[in-house]
Amino acid sequence: MNANIGGEADAMMAAGEPAERAGLPRKILPIIEGLLLIAASVVPLVLADYLTVFATRVVILALFALSFDLVWGYAGIMSFGQALFFGSAGYGVALLARDLDITSILVVLPIGTLIGLALAILLGGFLLLGRQPSSVIFVALGTLTGAYAADRLGRGWYYLGGQNGIASISPMTFGSYEFAEGPVYYYLALGLLVIVYLFCRFLVRSQFGLALAGLRENEQRIAFFGYKAQHLKAIVFTVGGAIAGLAGSLYAFHEVFVWPDMVGVVVSTQVVLYVLFGGSGTLAGAVVGTAIVEGLSFWLSDNYRNIWPIILGVLLLLVILFRPLGLISFVLGERERVGRFGLTSKEKRNAAS
Amino acid sequence: MANAFVALFEILSFGAIIVLIVLGLGIIASMMGIFNFAQGEFVLLGAYITYLGHSRGLPVWIGMAVAPFLVGLVGFVLEGLLIRRFYAAPIVAMLGTYALGLIIRETVRGLTGGLYLTVPEPIGGSIDLGTFHISAWRFTIVVITILVMGACHVLLSRTSFGLRVRATLENPALARASGISTPLIYGATFAFGAALAGLAGALIVPVFTLFADLGIRFLIQGFVAVMVGGVGSFIGPVMGAGVIGALSAALPWAITPVLADVFVFVLAIAFIKIRPQGLIAGKRV
Repeated sequence: MNANIGGEADAMMAAGEPAERAGLPRKILPIIEGLLLIAASVVPLVLADYLTVFATRVVILALFALSFDLVWGYAGIMSFGQALFFGSAGYGVALLARDLDITSILVVLPIGTLIGLALAILLGGFLLLGRQPSSVIFVALGTLTGAYAADRLGRGWYYLGGQNGIASISPMTFGSYEFAEGPVYYYLALGLLVIVYLFCRFLVRSQFGLALAGLRENEQRIAFFGYKAQHLKAIVFTVGGAIAGLAGSLYAFHEVFVWPDMVGVVVSTQVVLYVLFGGSGTLAGAVVGTAIVEGLSFWLSDNYRNIWPIILGVLLLLVILFRPLGLISFVLGERERVGRFGLTSKEKRNAAS
Repeated sequence: MANAFVALFEILSFGAIIVLIVLGLGIIASMMGIFNFAQGEFVLLGAYITYLGHSRGLPVWIGMAVAPFLVGLVGFVLEGLLIRRFYAAPIVAMLGTYALGLIIRETVRGLTGGLYLTVPEPIGGSIDLGTFHISAWRFTIVVITILVMGACHVLLSRTSFGLRVRATLENPALARASGISTPLIYGATFAFGAALAGLAGALIVPVFTLFADLGIRFLIQGFVAVMVGGVGSFIGPVMGAGVIGALSAALPWAITPVLADVFVFVLAIAFIKIRPQGLIAGKRV
């Protein structure tokens, strides 16, 4: 208690020093996060019903984008097949609902998450672990191929509905309550997004996250420090797969429909677009990117359905060329993107005294 | 017996098509270190140009002859404007070329109205060998593939242009110091790879009909083939393409087609995992 008061006094005294002021810039990221959360929580109150349904979709896709941002933005694994986990979980829960009549939220969401987790362990373990570290290109193409193969399997396998997918999935239930699309589903998805977001944020700001940041910046040096770089990557990949699985099961019940595109290259590249647009390696950027891309696409698709993908391509090219850190880098500095680790200066002084 | 022969020809001709498509992809990947996601769209452009010529009333073969040059030109311009900014980072190159491919694909989709368009074979009919009949055009594709493969090999291994390309690949700094204009060489190599894709597109469009997703259909097969063959040489990707093409065509005769597709990919990825350097290791022609 005493030490705490002393620390505050110290900090107040130190506030006069210019070096100290440079060390404590205004934190923009929490402001962005707060604004996003406030905006997201009032959305169903101000929007028409059909727009709430659209907003729910965006929230679920943002959850999916989060999984990709964790994998690419923090661990530097280019997962071009993130939809494999998303879609497989979607198919998995759709089959549960269709064949076994299990729709309880307490069963389907954990099972969807587990499907994503299990597939990510298998694929990640195979692609990332091994005697020689895998090249970035190999992992990128390996995940892409995995998603493509799953897509082909979904299209050709009659049990999975073939080209048409599985339609009219019965709604998710809690006891006797049915989650239909609308505000309730929206808040469910938003609540899960917030929980997962906080979990990811905790993960990347922990000591584990510090090792990840090192991995992203200089993998070799992290390996020389004695970290098992490949194991770290495999862990993050697995966590990413689990989150994608959760998002996929939510998506399947929300759209009451799963189809082969959902496991394939189409959705895989879509999530890459979201994160690149928003800004990789920031978590908030993934959410912002999803909202912007989906919002623009929703807005433009009425009148400009044909040229919208072209515009998307041009915008993506511009972002890659001129804003490699995404749109969020307009407001977010590099220092905050990397984040602060270890003791703050205040705590250090306490430790010294 | 007749069936076996037909199957064999089927495997051969599909293998040839994959080789033709992978040639350009392999040259760009091996010589420049870029996995070009827009390669499938160069194939599409070649096919589209052929269709355009045909719909204007020109003979099909004129469109086929012009397509490689036009697509090569497009490749050269794109390299100068965009691709050369990506050399430092292979992943960024993937994403950038993906965006480029998206633009080209959707433009063509808009131009064709999302329809499936047919282009007739310039050499129709079939070749009769006793009791068997094989498609004359598919046979022509096999012949052209062999010729193009030989020509590419000679170009890279026997000419001074090939020497410059290899020198630039091996040691860009030394190549520059020796008076080779490396940016020009990179541009020319990329254009060459694009032109090969354009040729492939022009030749296969009568077989597969023209639709906007024509290129993407072969892209992943192409990448897997390049990795199986081994990046860094000319002959590696070609061999990889032969293996992947033959397997993709042969397996559906043995097991159900649905599983065959998936099986080829699983097999290929497992092979690359065990042998990351591919069938042919090292940098040579």
